[in-house]
Amino acid sequence: MRSQLLRNVVRCLGARPAVAPARRHASCGSPALEELFARGGPLRTFLERQAGSESQLQVRGPELVAAAKLLGEKEQELRETERLLHDENEDLRKLAENEITSCQKEIAQLKHQIILLLVPSEETDESDLILEVTAGVGGQEAMLFTSEIFDMYQQYAAFKRWHFETLEYFPSEIGGLRHASASIGGSEAYKNMKFEGGVHRVQRVPKTEKQGRVHTSTMTVAILPQPTEINLVINPKDLRIDTKRASGAGGQHVNTTDSAVRIVHLPTGVVSECQQERSQLKNKEMAMKKLRAKLFSMHLEEETSKRYSARKIQVGSKGRSEKIRTYNFPQNRVTDHRINKSVYDLETFMRGEYLLDELVQSLKDCADYESLVQVISNKL
Amino acid sequence: MPVQYILGEWDFQGLSLKMAPPVFIPRPETEELVEWVLEEVAQRPCVAEAHSGPLILEVGCGSGAVSLSLLSQLPQSRVIAVDKGEAAICLTHENAQRLQLQDRIRVIPLDVTSEGSWAHLLLWGPLDLVVSNPPYVFHQDMEQLAPEILSYEDPAALDGGEKGMDIIMHVLALAPRLLKDSGSIFLEVDPRHPELIGSWLQNRPDLSLDLVAVRKDFCGRPRFLHIRRSGSQGGCPADTLPGPQAARVPG
Repeated sequence: MRSQLLRNVVRCLGARPAVAPARRHASCGSPALEELFARGGPLRTFLERQAGSESQLQVRGPELVAAAKLLGEKEQELRETERLLHDENEDLRKLAENEITSCQKEIAQLKHQIILLLVPSEETDESDLILEVTAGVGGQEAMLFTSEIFDMYQQYAAFKRWHFETLEYFPSEIGGLRHASASIGGSEAYKNMKFEGGVHRVQRVPKTEKQGRVHTSTMTVAILPQPTEINLVINPKDLRIDTKRASGAGGQHVNTTDSAVRIVHLPTGVVSECQQERSQLKNKEMAMKKLRAKLFSMHLEEETSKRYSARKIQVGSKGRSEKIRTYNFPQNRVTDHRINKSVYDLETFMRGEYLLDELVQSLKDCADYESLVQVISNKL
Repeated sequence: MPVQYILGEWDFQGLSLKMAPPVFIPRPETEELVEWVLEEVAQRPCVAEAHSGPLILEVGCGSGAVSLSLLSQLPQSRVIAVDKGEAAICLTHENAQRLQLQDRIRVIPLDVTSEGSWAHLLLWGPLDLVVSNPPYVFHQDMEQLAPEILSYEDPAALDGGEKGMDIIMHVLALAPRLLKDSGSIFLEVDPRHPELIGSWLQNRPDLSLDLVAVRKDFCGRPRFLHIRRSGSQGGCPADTLPGPQAARVPG
């Protein structure tokens, strides 16, 4: 019984358990979602079970059961109303059509609600995050691309009305960017940005190229959730703070402008540095911010690695070395390899507005879907 | 030439301040002095009266770094900033205007080592706090300072006399006469001073000053002192002896 249901679940996914390359067709997104709600399918079975059982799945069990019941009722209503479409009376037919449209809307909402209730929310969903960009393979061209991606995210943050603060910025000689990091905060910031982590690949004729050949370069994006004061408590005694003024009497005796600060978290050996600001105090604050993000990230790794191990859409350090997206300028196309979705109009995409947002939402839907499948298959 | 003079400006506690030779360039350690004062003020709300925050005297304001960062982070506070150097007076005044803080600060030329010169400070009423980063370099260490310091910064802003204590002693001697009961003094000093000052205070019971705490800087050196005037009443200070009544700072 269990294996039969599992096979159904897998069929719904249209996937093989291992992470396979992009030959798959749209295996994530609304059509599959519809399949998920298919009559007699695993989700239905699961919801029926929930209604029947005494010890419920989770805190929001009652809401889930209520939504499932309502869904059943609405679908019944829909079926009955659909019969009226064949009625002789034209007025009645028109009435039926209107009823059907509003019924379908409600059904869609209920399904959405059920999914939201089922998909487990993560500790980090409400977190702010630190965005890190680093140029990869490709020399100056990679650094130019890194700068464009950083700008894209900066504009995306503005588009989403998030707060964006550059923490570090190491430019290259010709206007590119070697490495930069920024703190991003706001409603659901981490929840949306978390799928941007990974290797982004660009294919185009570089500015530096004299013979008009297309090159492939890469850059890496890392997304680190930023813990609140409560999620992560660091004991000041566990920290060693290094500064450049260590030698001599310090104070009035010295005038050094090197205000670089480096913090070592002794128990774990994690190091964080900042030399961006003139003020030592500011550098210390920034270094602490990054340290907290790194430590939190490590703490999360343990928890999420089991949960995410089989997924297409990876989060955290697992996803960091995966090639997730290609930006092909000659073909004016951005392709995300995880959901095999392509967006055309690269220039608009890179403005970090609605085109990027749509892609992010698609990724989110897919991740929710995978989450959901896992929840169901775990409970069967 | 120090970079800060070349650029003509530098940051301190999040503020951008104009820098000009020979006025002393704020050191990073001093940011922690300000942090400590802010922490203490936050913990002792009785220090600030309802309508106007702590009344603070800064001795040796230099570019105005300490005074202005306190003013900007304590919106109800008022500061009297004094310095022996004319250039420092001008620069503090200029920085105050740049930051639109001129209404809450009085910048006064004053040499605290000169006898009786401070008496008119009594006009502003009893102080909640005295803050200072006084010249504290031991005289014998002066010639070992880096050339860029010796050539460009005012030596009077650095040289603290034989044991680097000259100005410190004057500040500690006059503070009890200006402070409210339980008013505080916050000093930045040489790492050798906490001990020296501790013993010096014990030999001067007439000052009614207690060394309350020593704090280390980010390099782990004892750098900052919190000294409190022990009042006869103790606890939260009521206003002290009437004294010469006059206008409160500022006008």
